[in-house]
Parts: sequence; C-alpha cells; structure tokens
Amino acid sequence: MSERSVTHATFTIERLYDASRTRVFAAWAEPAAKQRWFACHGDWTSGPHQLDFAIGGREHLSTRDSEGVDHIYDAIYQDIIPGERIVYAYQMHLGTRRISVSLATVEFRSEGKGTRLVFTEQAAFLDGYDRPDERKLGTRAGLENLAAELQRQAAAA
Amino acid sequence: MTDRSVVHATITVERTYRASPKRVFAAWSSKEALLSWGLPGEGWISGYERFDFRVGGNDRSHFGPAGGETYVNDTTYLDIVPDARIVSAGSMTSAGTRLSAGLMTVEFQAAGNGGCHLVMTEQGAFLDGHDLPENHEAGWNEMLDKLGDHLARDQAAA
Repeated sequence: MSERSVTHATFTIERLYDASRTRVFAAWAEPAAKQRWFACHGDWTSGPHQLDFAIGGREHLSTRDSEGVDHIYDAIYQDIIPGERIVYAYQMHLGTRRISVSLATVEFRSEGKGTRLVFTEQAAFLDGYDRPDERKLGTRAGLENLAAELQRQAAAA
Repeated sequence: MTDRSVVHATITVERTYRASPKRVFAAWSSKEALLSWGLPGEGWISGYERFDFRVGGNDRSHFGPAGGETYVNDTTYLDIVPDARIVSAGSMTSAGTRLSAGLMTVEFQAAGNGGCHLVMTEQGAFLDGHDLPENHEAGWNEMLDKLGDHLARDQAAA
C-alpha cells in the first residue's frame, strides 16, 4: 500500500466587485457566464463545461495543461440561496489521481453599489499531491477572471 | 430576506481501538454496523432510505430523538481507500431547512498491538445559526464511544 496522508486546510478570499449582488450571483449560476470566467486557463485547453446549477446538481470541467496533464474538476451543489450563498463540494483529479476534496462556500454581500464576495474553502489535500497555498493562488486567479467577465458584461450593456 | 450567516469550523475527534483497521473500517462501510453504533444519543432512532457505499454513491439517512425532530443526512462518498480512508461530503436538513454542509475525512491508521487509531475530521459550514460545531463535536464523541462498544461486542461474538 502506498503512503496515505491527508492535509486539512481552510482559506478565505474576499473580493469586492463593481456589480450588484444579482449580477455577481448570476455569473455563478448561468452556465454560459460561468464557463466564460471559470473554464479559461490561459493556454490550457478545456473540454466541455457541464453545469447543473441546482441543489444536488453537478458540475464538471476537464482542462489539459501545457504538459498534457488533465486537471479534472467535479462538483456537487449542497446549498443555493439565490443572490446570497452557494455551497458546493468538489474534488480535483490530476490525471487519474484524486488529489483533493473540498467544501467551498461563496457568500455574496451588498457593499455600497457593489458586492463583496467571500469565498471560503475547507479542503482535504490527499497524499501530498497538492498544497493549500497553490490552491489559494489558483482560486484568486479565478476570482480575477470573474472581475474581467463582469467588466465585459458591463461594457457590452 | 432572512439573515444569512455561515460559521466555518473544523472538528477533529480521535480514538484508538483494540481492533484492526480492517475491522474498524468495516464498521463504517456496512449499513447494519452503522445503525448499531451511529447514534449520538440514548433513545434516538435512525434508518437509511438509501445506502450506497462506493465512490460516487449517495446515502440518505434520517435520525433524531424518538418522537422529536428528524434530521435528514445526504452524503456522497468521494474517496474510499479500503481499510485506510473514507472521504464524503454532504448536508443535513430538518423539515426542509438546511442546517449544515460538510466534508468528512475518516482515517484508519495501524496502532500498536494490532489496534487502530481513528482520526475523524469534519470540515463544516454551519448555516444561518441553525446548528453549531459544538453540537456536532458532542455527537461525534458519543458515537465514537459507541463504536468502541460495538467493536468489543463484535469481538466477543467472534
């Protein structure tokens, strides 16, 4: 048997968006909008993004990095309060290896005319294949992509 | 709009049992065994509407004090390493209100004299003040003591 280990970690990222709570929430709930900011990873190539945004519904995205390794994301939605909160459990595979399992909570709070998003991830990193600091960096980049998506939407309106 | 809140907490409970990791893992992977030890209080009742112990499988169970509030647990198994580890995610509701969501890691480690050191970690999101980490921690402590009794009975019967 190989050596098994679990590293538990919790991190929080807060970000202020210049858009209403309704719009920020919609960017997580509507499959086309979510795909635009969630399924883009620079020069990596993504397979089809599948999203069933409902409690018990699933989400799937497979992305191949520049070295040909697949990063596979699978989520199950646990709690959805429109405009206010999303809780989902997700796991990551690197190729065929499961590297982490997490519970993510996204809270949307009105602040002035904008929205403060509070993202909390409670993660279990398995067998030493990923690290909390790397995950936090990747998540922060994703939330930057979301800002760009909201700006594009505002410019197009 | 009701007031929404989330309290995040990590609960860790550990026990060392005089039973092999294989036997302790078995007590977490069979419905009959879980029903015999997995209750947090005297006079509580429980049952499974669905039990599907495999990666990707979903369980639905209910539990609660007889004649009192009923809690419904929906669980999805995410990682199973036989005799070593179980990771699952799920949420708990009561009368349609979601009280908490959480990630559970149970690690089964070989201990001295053929025993097993169990480390259970719940990473929970406690929603809108409906539930508290302290409640879960107390419940888990009660259940893991009952698991010890279950393993002793199981051993005596063998």
